Amino acid sequence: MNILRLALKNIADNAFRSWIVAICAALVACCVIGATLIVQGSENSLQKVFERLGADILVIPEGNQSDVEHALLMGVPVTVWMPRSVISEIAALPGVSAVSPQLFLSTMRGASCCSVSDMFMIAYDPETDFTVHPWLEQKLERELSLGEAIGGIYVTVSEGRDNILIYGYEIELVGNLEPTGSGLDQSMFFTYETALEIARLSPMQAERELVISPHSVSAALVRIEANADPLRVVLQIENAVPGVVAIENTQLFRTQRERILGLTSSATVLSIITWIMCIILIGLVTSLAITQRKREIGVLRALGASRARVLLSLLSEGMILSLLGGAAGISLTTFTIYLFRDLIIHQMDMPFLFPTPLALFLLSIGILAFTLISIILATLFPILHISHLEPGTTIKEW
Amino acid sequence: MMISLFQAGKTYTLKGKTTIPAIQEVNLNIDTGEFVVITGRSGSGKTTLLNLVAGLARPTSGQVLIESMDLWSMSDQEQSRLRNQKMGFVFQFPSLLQSLTVLENVILPGMYGQKNEKHLILERAEKLLDEVGLNNKLSAYPRQLSAGQQQRVVIARALVNQPALLLADEPTSNLDEQTEQEIIGLFKDIHDSREITILLVTHAGQLIPCGTRALQMAEGRIIKDEHIHENRVVRQ
Repeated sequence: MNILRLALKNIADNAFRSWIVAICAALVACCVIGATLIVQGSENSLQKVFERLGADILVIPEGNQSDVEHALLMGVPVTVWMPRSVISEIAALPGVSAVSPQLFLSTMRGASCCSVSDMFMIAYDPETDFTVHPWLEQKLERELSLGEAIGGIYVTVSEGRDNILIYGYEIELVGNLEPTGSGLDQSMFFTYETALEIARLSPMQAERELVISPHSVSAALVRIEANADPLRVVLQIENAVPGVVAIENTQLFRTQRERILGLTSSATVLSIITWIMCIILIGLVTSLAITQRKREIGVLRALGASRARVLLSLLSEGMILSLLGGAAGISLTTFTIYLFRDLIIHQMDMPFLFPTPLALFLLSIGILAFTLISIILATLFPILHISHLEPGTTIKEW
Repeated sequence: MMISLFQAGKTYTLKGKTTIPAIQEVNLNIDTGEFVVITGRSGSGKTTLLNLVAGLARPTSGQVLIESMDLWSMSDQEQSRLRNQKMGFVFQFPSLLQSLTVLENVILPGMYGQKNEKHLILERAEKLLDEVGLNNKLSAYPRQLSAGQQQRVVIARALVNQPALLLADEPTSNLDEQTEQEIIGLFKDIHDSREITILLVTHAGQLIPCGTRALQMAEGRIIKDEHIHENRVVRQ
């Protein structure tokens, strides 16, 4: 017989109290981990998109900001154009260290000449690129050749095929990028040369011609010098190049950021309300349960349990219940969010990146500790009160 | 175990206003090996006196000395150790933990005792349960036992740490006459076979002859104190 075994026996013997405490612990853990996973998942995803873009400033044709942001985040294809001369104009500005153009393309929907429907594709210029290049250098140790592509984590070759068919052109998928939880996971990257080759052959091979103007680009990714002020460069670009909008990376996806902020506030308020209600409920139930066990506590004191042992014994019951309930709440919520992550992305129209197992483990430990502390707080007052009463009084008062 | 009370008093305060003097200026010396039967009407202060001796209630005046040591100069830890190692309790009400088996209930005081004694406690618990005739009920739960059987388990639990002092508060009040006789017989056997001091509180006057000394209480004071078995040797 030890404190743990006694606590387990008491938990089993006080089923009503035990269930209430465990359910409250599960609710607290469920709310906190649910809110954290969704908010953190969206923020992480945005961060990954920033990292993937690798640019300090994104320049796109004026009036297309929300479409481009939506394309990058949700993978909904967009086709926008601006003159290629924009690249050299930006490159000439002070504070700019590198500029790389990109073409935004899209596969056809439901056409036999495309093995993937409505896919967002990005063509980059290998000579100036700093977005795809670092990954290629690290993983592939070479540049992409003509007819080769790398895809987001969810881009795969259809069953029964060796390559991906784009406008009747066979593209070899040579690798997949790390997940971002955004539309980039369903997007494909290839070189300008490949894009132009697809466009050149499309009149003969595709149901519809892919038109790419050699004098146009969709976006310009800008890197600034180390000591340059990004805001100053943004203003310089917008002043020097008419018809474009320059977006500092911290200002990208502002709508989504605001939505995440709103979501964070709602989730925080909901979690706080649930937490307070659970704490009050647990406090009341513990108070009730302990009142019913006054005599038992008096008997334990008579048998030689010190005040500290009684305190520890009663607290350990709450701790076990909070760990069990918390673990159940965390597992159930995590599993549900994992199962419905695609639905969450579509319903909220926001990117979402499920955390890595290590991050999830650490988060779960943190939330379990939070649940544990919450339950200890909720049960501490009635337990302290009873443990400080004279044993003779607790034995008599029943 | 030597017990002394000097001018001990205990007053309860109800709802912060009304005060009830449960024990008033009690002076009492109990020697090792005495079997003291304390009688009196309800509310006369018998249970409070027992609680004062056990350290379960703090006197509002006076002193309680156990083996010449002031009980209330001890820390909670020391008091608890004293209760665990030197005292055994038999209560009036069903005091077994319903979630534990008979054997687990009996070894429960061992949980609060010295760690290296735990295997001895188990052996002792089985032996005691055999002595009280419940060796076939080790795995039973209290609710599966009669009131008399439960009280036997409580007595076994009270003795498991081989205490020097056994405190019993109306141990037969919820029992039928036959079971009451059996339990009283058990107390006599315990007193005769062990070096133990017993304080037994009862409202039943017929139990007085079981002890070596009888105290009668009224309104929180000892109004009669007499040695009733002159032929019994009081161990010093």
